[in-house]
Amino acid sequence: MIAGKHKTLKPAVLAMGLVLAAVYVFLYAPIFYVIYTSFSADIVWPFPPHFSAQSYGDLFASSLYGDALANSITLALGSAVLSTVLAAAGAIGILRYRSRWRGFAMFMFLAPLFVAELLIGISTLAFNARVLGLPGNLYSAMAANAVPGTSFAFLIILAQLVRYDWNMDDAAMVFGAGPFRSFIEITLPTIWPSLFGAFLISFILAFNNLEISFYNLGAIPTLPAVAWGSLRFGLGPELFALATLVNGAVFFIFAVMYILMRYRIVSFGYRGP
Amino acid sequence: MTAGTLQITPRRTKLHRLFAYRFALLAGPGALFIMIALLLPLLSIVVFSFWRTESYELYADWNLDNYRVMLTEPAYRVFFLRSFFMALAVTLACLVISWPVAYFIAKHGGRYRLLLVLLLAAPFFTGVILRIAALQGLFGPIGLINMTLTEIGLPPIQVLMYTPLAAGIGLVYLYVPFMITAIYLSVINFNFELLEVAKINGAKPWRAFIEITWPLNWIGTAIGLVVVFIPCLASAVTQRFLGGTQSSSFGMSLAQQFGETGTWALGSAMGVALFVSSIVAIVLIGRSINLKRSGFTGVINP
Repeated sequence: MIAGKHKTLKPAVLAMGLVLAAVYVFLYAPIFYVIYTSFSADIVWPFPPHFSAQSYGDLFASSLYGDALANSITLALGSAVLSTVLAAAGAIGILRYRSRWRGFAMFMFLAPLFVAELLIGISTLAFNARVLGLPGNLYSAMAANAVPGTSFAFLIILAQLVRYDWNMDDAAMVFGAGPFRSFIEITLPTIWPSLFGAFLISFILAFNNLEISFYNLGAIPTLPAVAWGSLRFGLGPELFALATLVNGAVFFIFAVMYILMRYRIVSFGYRGP
Repeated sequence: MTAGTLQITPRRTKLHRLFAYRFALLAGPGALFIMIALLLPLLSIVVFSFWRTESYELYADWNLDNYRVMLTEPAYRVFFLRSFFMALAVTLACLVISWPVAYFIAKHGGRYRLLLVLLLAAPFFTGVILRIAALQGLFGPIGLINMTLTEIGLPPIQVLMYTPLAAGIGLVYLYVPFMITAIYLSVINFNFELLEVAKINGAKPWRAFIEITWPLNWIGTAIGLVVVFIPCLASAVTQRFLGGTQSSSFGMSLAQQFGETGTWALGSAMGVALFVSSIVAIVLIGRSINLKRSGFTGVINP
């Protein structure tokens, strides 16, 4: 456990733990507000509670939210796969092989972190619409979302790969494995938690992106676009219900992860005691 | 590596060439993708910023009018300064919150570290809009906090209702996970044994932090500062729904040029101004990084 190995809890550690707890409360208070409100009859002033499953009924009755969810998932999957593959290849290339282009490649991979998403959104819109003459579509939104996604994925994978011992791959190659086989059998089992983390983060970013997607999607609805539209004309309670279902799925995955870690079935890259 | 240097020359050059080829094969696609999908669009708004828009159409007559309007119109200056100070305040608030959290998870998180970090990212599954709406539901005039206060006969907290402070809290809410992650990624690669050495040599924990932990993790902290400052400088949605009229930002005005008013050329000039200020911020923060002093050895010279 976290505190278990310390016999006496130092005040500084306790203080930091309290800040962490406060940050979790701060981050999750609005989430629980959304979950709570989704079960309420009135979303503007849901206190005291009048429980109702009305919003869930409306959610499943309407096709708009289903389409928006499907579009969001398609967009996020495409963007996250693109980001993770490009970033993983890039991180391995940059760490493993010497080249005079290494600094430049590193710079390119990190550059999107330092450009505001609003700027990525409007500049891709301007470029696609006026230079290429393309209307907004799911694929250009996918590519535009993969730009910052690749940077985040690259950072996450790099953080773990820095400590990876490439001699293991060289050893495998000495014993006759090709580069591809040594990657599948040696590298991948060691680095998959960071690939998974990179995929998850780039998926989340694209799934809920507003500023980039808004300018690149045209009239295709995604969840943030629907939320944006409805916020100006009074937020639909169905959105609260949908967010609750998404969060339910996320919490379920975390609970599974916790159990796997608790009983040491999977360590997710942790190599300590 | 030592085995490689013992190879006879012709084979070594061949191997070398093969390695350079592999580098291009692995890192090339990503670098090329970002060049096409990031740099070309940015270049196109630089070009458009010197053009002219008339009734939603762009015309290529080169002029500096957009920049002149942006610099002489007082509203844009006010928006810019407001966004700048907001971004500065939010970044500093995030810095103060993030260090203890990141340090705690890296040092005391044990095998649950990844889970603790992912828990910080999970709120992102609920989109920006819904989280801002929920914050409004907590802080707003008919939000949980103020209605509860009214209910028990106390005056509502005025500063939480559509003020710059409310917008600031909203921005900290949205961006603090980014800074925590940046510092965390730096601290997990930090050698904590150095602190034991400092302790043996008589340094108190605070002094050890100031002289060892902080400078050796400065690069992660600097990345965190940049990663929070830049989106805050460009932020629009948060101010619009939490900040009230006193919080209209540069980003809001910029988005408007590409939306309602359709003045793309002026919008492009504003985008260029935003980009240039971001670069200035990055350079200022980047100059404070000394790679050798920050103990950064992993990537540049493996």
